[in-house]
Amino acid sequence: MKKRGERVFCALLVVSLCVSGMFAGGTKEAPVKQQEIPKVDASKYEVTKPIEITWWHALENQYSDLVDEIVNDFNNSQDKIKVKAEYIGNYATVNETLVAAQVAGTGLPALVVANTPYVAQYGASGLCEDLNPYIQATGFDINDFGEGMIKASAYEGEQVSLPFLISTQIMYYNKDMAKAKGIEIPTKFKDMNEFLSKVTEFNADGSTKVWGTIVPGWDQWYFETFFLNNGVNIINPDGISTDFGGKASIETTKEIGDWIKKGYAYFAVGKDGSSIMRQTFIDQKAFSVIHTSSLYNTYVNLCKNFEVGMAWLPATDTKKQEIGGCVLLIPAKNDQQTKNAAWQFLSYLCSKEVNMKWAEGTGYMPTRKSVLETQEGKDFLAKKPAFKAIFDNLDNIYPRIQNKNWNQLAKIWMNYLSEFYNNGKDIDTGIPQMTEEINEVLED
Amino acid sequence: MLTEERTITERNERAIRNRRAISVLQWVLAIAVTVVAFFPIYWMLITSVKSQEEVLLLQPTFWPKEFHFENYANVMHKVKFAKYYVNTVIMTAGILVCQIITGVFAAYGFSKGQFKGKNALFMVVLGALMIPLQVTFIPIYVMFAHWHLTDTYLGLILPEAVSPYYIFMLRQTFMSIDDSYIDAARIDGVGKVGIITRILVPMCRSTLFTVTLVTFTSGWNSYFWPKIIAKEESHRVLTVGLAKLRDTFAGQGTMNNHEIMAGAVMAILPVVILFFVFQKYMLSGYSKAAMK
Amino acid sequence: MTKKGIKPRTLDHLQDFGCTIPALILILMFTYFPILKLIQISFTNWNLLNDHYDYVGLKNWKWLFTGSGRKYLVNSLKVTFLYSAGELTITLFGGLVLALIFNTMHKGFSALRAIVFMPKYVAMSSAAVIFLWILNTDNGVLNYFITRLGGRRVDWLGQSSTAMISILMLTGWRAIGYGMIVYLAAIRSIPKDYYEAADLDGASYWTKLRSITLPMLGPTTLFLFVTTFISSMKVFQSVDVMTGGGPNRSTEVFVYQIYSYAMEDFRMDRASVMALAFFILLLVITASTMKLSNGRVNYDT
Repeated sequence: MKKRGERVFCALLVVSLCVSGMFAGGTKEAPVKQQEIPKVDASKYEVTKPIEITWWHALENQYSDLVDEIVNDFNNSQDKIKVKAEYIGNYATVNETLVAAQVAGTGLPALVVANTPYVAQYGASGLCEDLNPYIQATGFDINDFGEGMIKASAYEGEQVSLPFLISTQIMYYNKDMAKAKGIEIPTKFKDMNEFLSKVTEFNADGSTKVWGTIVPGWDQWYFETFFLNNGVNIINPDGISTDFGGKASIETTKEIGDWIKKGYAYFAVGKDGSSIMRQTFIDQKAFSVIHTSSLYNTYVNLCKNFEVGMAWLPATDTKKQEIGGCVLLIPAKNDQQTKNAAWQFLSYLCSKEVNMKWAEGTGYMPTRKSVLETQEGKDFLAKKPAFKAIFDNLDNIYPRIQNKNWNQLAKIWMNYLSEFYNNGKDIDTGIPQMTEEINEVLED
Repeated sequence: MLTEERTITERNERAIRNRRAISVLQWVLAIAVTVVAFFPIYWMLITSVKSQEEVLLLQPTFWPKEFHFENYANVMHKVKFAKYYVNTVIMTAGILVCQIITGVFAAYGFSKGQFKGKNALFMVVLGALMIPLQVTFIPIYVMFAHWHLTDTYLGLILPEAVSPYYIFMLRQTFMSIDDSYIDAARIDGVGKVGIITRILVPMCRSTLFTVTLVTFTSGWNSYFWPKIIAKEESHRVLTVGLAKLRDTFAGQGTMNNHEIMAGAVMAILPVVILFFVFQKYMLSGYSKAAMK
Repeated sequence: MTKKGIKPRTLDHLQDFGCTIPALILILMFTYFPILKLIQISFTNWNLLNDHYDYVGLKNWKWLFTGSGRKYLVNSLKVTFLYSAGELTITLFGGLVLALIFNTMHKGFSALRAIVFMPKYVAMSSAAVIFLWILNTDNGVLNYFITRLGGRRVDWLGQSSTAMISILMLTGWRAIGYGMIVYLAAIRSIPKDYYEAADLDGASYWTKLRSITLPMLGPTTLFLFVTTFISSMKVFQSVDVMTGGGPNRSTEVFVYQIYSYAMEDFRMDRASVMALAFFILLLVITASTMKLSNGRVNYDT
């Protein structure tokens, strides 16, 4: 306890020394590779008076103790800034609440998390404060983050946010069941059908007893990579049209539909879809589920009767997966003092030490490249060996597709898939309709 | 003669048997209907004091194994339920006061008052009945966002500050009061406000009370507009807070239905109790409207 | 001829008018003006996230009535009317049946009446939270009863076939007591002479029902029909809490769709067109029901 607190305090001491000692901080670290960095007046970003700020987050109940600990550590380590953490809801709710506050111009928090796909939307609307000056003024080491992560949190040259709690898609599977059947998760998408036929168990009446896998239908992030790796351009390079009407998309949609028709998998929808899917896996009624790596700790804690393994999603020649989780951003409409205080807290939350705390206490990944090569990284792997699947594939984690109309696209896509898989709508007639609607939305 | 008597007594006996059968049927159905109607409340109450393990049992228990009253404390600790109460009270009181004041005066103007265009303007008021908030919320929300009225009490109250229904009902009642009372008062030198507050209002006490109760309920139970205008915890109301409780506790991570039910109890019990007490007025309010 | 000052009579009239001004101003601001604003917004491409918007003519109207928005419009109409039919049946038919059954009951009646009517005091959204728990697929008590009776667990809220039924269960719980109370009050006010006269003629129960009770309940039925119809069109709370319009838009009622476009997608333009379409629908319904009742009935929102 004391050691960690001391380490944080030291980090902050260093930061404040940098602030007070340096002026044009850009020379030492040169964080952004691309452009000329203008000289930055560090004193502009100092916190001069005591201030109370709010932090909006989406970390649920099961993480509340960890959140309290981390926030209290920060508050106790210095006496100028007092942070109040507020749980708003899931990412979609945080988005709605944030936009509402942005429109009203009042009630904005000093710091807020955002699900990774919102970065483009927010960047385009000017909601976020550009963090580049702050990074230079305080000498924050931005290069230690994975490259994909930094790209994912920037928009058109501006660093509008920083990576905070990062995850990626993963397939959780019942290791005991796998051993018993002598089966491994396939690495290729086209092998899924055969694999699923081997692991799915049926009742006498033909209904499924143990699902081969479950595909989450409430967030397209989970199955997006199947399409991406099969060569589908969800958004074409022109940025205003989609390739969903093309052959690759239709084939992929039909392939997944085949798993579902055969009873190997189901497409989980509805407000309880996630809880039900989780419970099905915990009750050992599903061999595997596709979910987010961030829930690793939760799964391990709840699956007391068997070992939980993680596997990279089956792909093709490319094994692209996408960054998930959230970034931290500072709303631009706040006053400078608030923003400065928010930056202090932001850099604390994204610091190496605190990041490791998150990584240990939850399923979120360590974000620092340096960690992975050190003893800390090795200790982490020793505690969570399943994470090897991720560490082996770090280069395959890409930023998400950034488009300001992404959310509308995602909504339409998920609705159609649900119609195909759960309502029996014909895929061949439905896909052109879906493509048309998505094109309309992208053109807006 | 005898046969006639016999058939009459037979018919009487059959009638008595029928009546008893019907009475038994009534009782059985009455109990069934009462049980079904009460069941959700009962289920909410007992779930709210169960432990998490007991709640997640595949075979639900119909009486808690042990009583966990700390569920209530937990909810109040994790979520600012007390603030929701305060907000709801302020909002409902505000709406009530505005509706009563604007309503009483407008009803007076449209009933006992005389001015050009009185009837036409009353039509305007009635017309508003056909324009619900579910249609107009978009521009109102945008307006309020512009005027920085989001997450404020004013924002919660203003759109509902006038109730055409209230004005309509009161106008009816006022119109039924004999003009002689008013004339007498005027001779005594009582001004308009006096006439309204000291003569008309007291005479319609029971109607006023009934309509007030109905308005209070609908204000307390409102969900749509408060959800839109008060997104932050500082001004959230009970109904929205309870629904959100579900997201807090049963999101991607956990399923704490026992705590959610505790929240539900806290949210609805006061109103339920209040209305058991004032039942008579409530029922007359609803059925009177029908009888008209 | 000039007179100094204002005539006392005019002053008096002005004061009367003044009494109505606060109400009128608020009504104009919050009911009539928004309609105009809605019409204006419907001709733009306003996405709330952007600070400005442009006028795009009839684009949104075309989208709604001829473009890809049309099927969502039709779906919402279908869903809302389906819901409405459900609520009407429960309130009118169910309420009448219960009223007839309990009409002659006197002992213990007030207790029954209080408990059956109580659900109406509970906010729809709060009741929905309770029902979410009761209808839970794995741990809900309803599925428990069903399995005890030999059936299989039903995924009430996760299937399009049962989602609307779930919503109607919630509505029924609240509505049936209301219908019953209203009908009971109405039945009890029918003059007993009619029935006595019919008894003398040896009329059977069913004849009395058909020739006396039902016709005399006509105005009540009409009242219930009109008010329930109009209020059921505006359903939102139960859908928002229990299903979020799904699954597959099977419960996407009108108001929910408008809300979703406005507050989730922040597409004010599309939401405004939908809202106006909904408004027109309401006007049509109100006008036709008014015609039906020849203005005899007075309703509230």
